[in-house]
Amino acid sequence: MPAFGPPLASLFLSGVHDFASGEEPTHNEAQGLKSVPSLPVEYHVHRKCSNVAHVMLDICSTYRTTKTTKSGVNVMRILTVTVLLGLSTAAPSLADTADGASLVGQDWEAIVEMARGGEVNWFMWGGADNINIYVQDFVGTILMNEYGITLNQIPLADTVEAVNIVLGEKEAGNLDAGSVDMIWINGENFRTMKQGGLAWCGYTDRLPNNALVNWDNPVIANDFGVPVDSCEVPWNRAQFALAHDSATLPEPPRSIPELIEWIKANPGQFTYPAPPDFNGSVFIRHVFYYAAGGVDNLLGDFDQAKFDAAAEKTWAILNEIEPSLWREGATYPTSINQLNELFANTEVAFTFNYDPSQFGIAVDAGIYPDTVRSFGLVDGTIGNTNYTIIPFNSPNKAAALVLQNLLLSAEAQLEKARPEVWGTSPGIEMDRTDAAAQEAFAALPSHPSVISAAELGKAALPELQAGWISAIEQGWLANVGN
Amino acid sequence: MNGPSRLSRSMLVLSGALLIIWLILPLVPMLIWSFAHGWRFPDLLPQQWSLQAWDYALSDRSGTLESLGVTILIAALATLLSILVGVPAGRALGLYKFRGKGLIELMILAPVIVPGIAVALGLHSVFIQLGLTNTLAGVVLVHLVPTLPYMTLVMAGIFANYDPAHESQARSLGANAVQTFWHVTLPAIMPGIIVGGLFAFLVSWSQYILTLLIGGGRVITLPLLLFSFASAGRNDITGAIGIIYILPGILILLFTARHLSGSNGAVGGFGRI
Repeated sequence: MPAFGPPLASLFLSGVHDFASGEEPTHNEAQGLKSVPSLPVEYHVHRKCSNVAHVMLDICSTYRTTKTTKSGVNVMRILTVTVLLGLSTAAPSLADTADGASLVGQDWEAIVEMARGGEVNWFMWGGADNINIYVQDFVGTILMNEYGITLNQIPLADTVEAVNIVLGEKEAGNLDAGSVDMIWINGENFRTMKQGGLAWCGYTDRLPNNALVNWDNPVIANDFGVPVDSCEVPWNRAQFALAHDSATLPEPPRSIPELIEWIKANPGQFTYPAPPDFNGSVFIRHVFYYAAGGVDNLLGDFDQAKFDAAAEKTWAILNEIEPSLWREGATYPTSINQLNELFANTEVAFTFNYDPSQFGIAVDAGIYPDTVRSFGLVDGTIGNTNYTIIPFNSPNKAAALVLQNLLLSAEAQLEKARPEVWGTSPGIEMDRTDAAAQEAFAALPSHPSVISAAELGKAALPELQAGWISAIEQGWLANVGN
Repeated sequence: MNGPSRLSRSMLVLSGALLIIWLILPLVPMLIWSFAHGWRFPDLLPQQWSLQAWDYALSDRSGTLESLGVTILIAALATLLSILVGVPAGRALGLYKFRGKGLIELMILAPVIVPGIAVALGLHSVFIQLGLTNTLAGVVLVHLVPTLPYMTLVMAGIFANYDPAHESQARSLGANAVQTFWHVTLPAIMPGIIVGGLFAFLVSWSQYILTLLIGGGRVITLPLLLFSFASAGRNDITGAIGIIYILPGILILLFTARHLSGSNGAVGGFGRI
């Protein structure tokens, strides 16, 4: 009798295993494009294509724009085309707007006309149903009704998967017919895309609603210390906050030194995710800022001498509290979701998040009790901005521009600021919008579990440049998490 | 009936019950989660029951039902193609000895041995050059990479225990090639096709990275939806989509269970080439 083991196990595990390996982009640096000499076999493909049925025209046209180096591959192509006749679901592209350079030369009305009737494929983290609903119901409906553009939202477990698709396409020589039109992005993934030449840049001033963006604000103009340089458009702002259950802990510690004392006095009730988890990493940076005596000294390029001084104190603090952590610090959660689960099950007394609206979402979903409250630190917490980016090889750049402009509008920013919709902070300056929008924004009710952005913003700290962040993460792994 | 056989029968019932509990028990929390609104330690049952997760999972905007159809179509096509390729390949490996057979067996096993992510990015590049990315056809084709080893190995095991002399007998009695295949070969290898097909279907059913890369987000299968919620800690929606996700597998197991009894001699040779 055959064992059921492999398929059953794979039913439950293999997919999880696939993504649990947490793929980082394996080639961070863009590799030079492979040379693609055009071979006589191209002609062969043409002729074959002209013979196949009408439904295959798409595939053939794709083939004509794709070049390969091996004639053996062409034989395979033809075979596959014949075998798979009719299986293709590729949609004919209506108006190809892959040529970004000529697009930025157009006026906005012309861009909107080119986008009309097309589609835009937006890859974004898809783990929150309320965000998915906002994007599909609110944004998608306006996009369809006013511009006739179909919005395809592609949910991701991890944003790096979309970056890998674009990277793979560039390496394979797909320069104008990519599958990704827009990504919700920031930080490390943005750096990969900008440095690898995967981003389309130099267009943001074409968007009418760009006037609502305050590019003079360094928190907007720099994405984790990397200058944006017109390669992406802000969508939301976020600032780190901690959450506690007011029913069991009415008065939480409100500074890093107080928190350290609290942890020692209450062993087993605190932990933080190990880097490279995004939220665990930012928690460690708060300790690092405290150990360095403030962030002012750390801004700018990475400085080994300054780093060494602050890092030594940071590791000493973190090693000192380690025996008082959850499970005596023998293990750390590997993701913020594990910490959230520990917090939901009251195993630990705090969780934290770079996006405080997540606390409200979790309360509304019944994951946390209603008594959960969130707070910032008296010395300030770190803030950042998240963006939308258009890959260099997107064939629907006009539609992506229309979508970006819509996302920046006062109407769309106001809607997502509603606590029952999402409750996130605007990426634009609300005081640059019209009076009605400002009034509505000021009148928004706040979620009791989410500390208001205004309250949190009274003490805000900047992010460090990527060089600092990776040095802190690696230092933690070597000195604390070993 | 004498004593020992009654004992062995009750042992059979007991082990059957244990097996069912072992298979079903892990699914119970998932079912409860899908109706839970708040289920925290140390409560045995959720604080509140809710249909919110199912409401979202079954709504148009979640895309669950649409991707259920897409997932079924892809898995069915991948299974069909696996059978078409795996049966002749299994016959060659099971019945004949030839130079380089060991090497070919190793290459057929390779996709199972090598981690998927290691080949996924390379395959992506090849599929872009073939113009097969972002299409259902491309996803079906790439699913053959992990499904074919199972199909071929099962069929090789079947053919290792298969006597081709039956075919010669049928031919000598006047049957043509098609009749021989239909009335002699096919019934003999049918259990293998069902087992191998089941393997292929479930392996295709659970693909994530290959589907995402080759499908380019245009082909959205259930694992894509499921993992974006599972990784975000949304146990309620994960539970609802998860139940929709495992149902086809369970249904197929139920329908094919009688072929998996092990009483058929042909299946006994599984794993031996």
